Amino acid sequence: MLFIMVANLSSFAQIKGDEDMARDERGKYIYYEVVNGTSAAADNLRARALEFLKLKKVSNVKSANEQITASGKFLISKTAFVLTHPSGEVLYNFYFEIKGDKYRFWLTDFSFIPYKRDRYANFVPATTKSLPLETEPGKLNAGEWKSYISVTNKQATAFAADFKEFLSSARKSKVQPKAKPAISTKSW
Amino acid sequence: MKLKSFFTISAISMSAATYAQESTSSTSSPLQISGSADTYYKYDFAKKQNIGTSFANDQNSVSLGMIDLALKKTTGKASFVGELSFGPRGQAGSIPNGDGDELNADNSFHIQNLYASYAFTDKLSMTAGYMGTFVGYEVIAPTGNFNYSTSYLFTSGPFQNAGIKANYVFSPKVAVMVGLFNDWNVYKDENGVSHFGAQLTVSPAEGWTAYLNVLTGKSAGAPGTGSIFDLTTAYQVTEKVKIGLNAADYTISDDNGGYSGAALYLQNAFTTSFSLGLRGEYFKSKSDTNGLTLAGVTPGESVVAITVSGNVKAGGLTFIPEVRFDNASSPQFLKNNLDPTKSASQFSLAAVYAF
Repeated sequence: MLFIMVANLSSFAQIKGDEDMARDERGKYIYYEVVNGTSAAADNLRARALEFLKLKKVSNVKSANEQITASGKFLISKTAFVLTHPSGEVLYNFYFEIKGDKYRFWLTDFSFIPYKRDRYANFVPATTKSLPLETEPGKLNAGEWKSYISVTNKQATAFAADFKEFLSSARKSKVQPKAKPAISTKSW
Repeated sequence: MKLKSFFTISAISMSAATYAQESTSSTSSPLQISGSADTYYKYDFAKKQNIGTSFANDQNSVSLGMIDLALKKTTGKASFVGELSFGPRGQAGSIPNGDGDELNADNSFHIQNLYASYAFTDKLSMTAGYMGTFVGYEVIAPTGNFNYSTSYLFTSGPFQNAGIKANYVFSPKVAVMVGLFNDWNVYKDENGVSHFGAQLTVSPAEGWTAYLNVLTGKSAGAPGTGSIFDLTTAYQVTEKVKIGLNAADYTISDDNGGYSGAALYLQNAFTTSFSLGLRGEYFKSKSDTNGLTLAGVTPGESVVAITVSGNVKAGGLTFIPEVRFDNASSPQFLKNNLDPTKSASQFSLAAVYAF
């Protein structure tokens, strides 16, 4: 039965190359995936999705009209050799819907907020207004902007993988670890 | 190494971006290393070193700003920050030599920030050490300012406040800081920890943040108690337009001078690569019996400074072309023939790299 369940579970994700993200009908970047053949009940899936979003600390979670929506952000860090620090954050909107034995979810409306160092040498948002990821950056910043899109794609892919795994994993009770017996040095 | 090769290598190494897990809870983070480097050219049209605000003071010379390195590490609820700086801007221009001990009189400790923090809860944290000042709009690091030259308010105010402070976040819109501090700009306080400081942070609307600051105390050797009241606020009107305001009043008791002033900042980002900014400032040195001459402004006199700066960004590199016009109420500047004059103007071009 488990084999049949796994065999029937297929997903189609619109994922392109490492640096390319798909766009929707609005021309906005999107990570979109449909998962077929799920055997879990719709209520169960919805509850698990909400629990996942709570664990991920995603904000503005709303559940209405068969759709769950939420808002979140990915932190972008620049790492080169031993240097690493936050360089910005990418905001996104999350959508989740269930239909019959399949569900779909997508992340879209990506927008970027650059970080800068403040007077205490901490990295903070340089602005409160985010820039849509679809913005043309111009030649001078094209390379850096392309890397932001690439990293966003990777983070969205990782988010999706975590989400699907969470929804598909059966609930297991926490196994209490056995206490190790104390070693007696008195008798041997 | 040639400058072009340096920047090429830096650009290649910095172009690799990796993601980090988003987390709002206290966890260990890898050691963060960041910094900046800057250089500039300035030309005063009277061919004199006229405008006396901080940094960018060399006339008709390709000169150094500073190289600055900051380390930050968080483990659980504790974190530390250490920031070192080297160069004219990062040493004599912004931090004291030594700790007042004669043996260290020619020693720069190179320290801009050195402090530890502990987050007791999500709302309450405490920080102690040597920190950049919480007062004012502009900062020492060139990456933190839109304009390359600085305002009279910045030059006349505190640069660092060593001490211990507590921060409490009531809500995303309101936070408070209170603390006890050393005298301004010293590594060691000669007359004991004698300053009280506080900051109220409010965010009345999305994109708008205001800081109300107060710092008061009697510095070692000072003729009176000095108190500074400062308003620093910025409003991101749209994704392109930003407005900033800094207003401050500093008074030393018993008619020992002080200053007051205000600076308005207007910035427009025409593209992601190019922005233009205008700074208009009015600054006055108080006309007390024992008034102070601050950045060339004598007691009872004032100056109006208009600065127009561009920011051309290419990755981590920012070019800042700038023109500035200062007009004083008294002839505090010099013409080329050494005659006193009330006005001065200068052009500068700076290159600032943030990594």
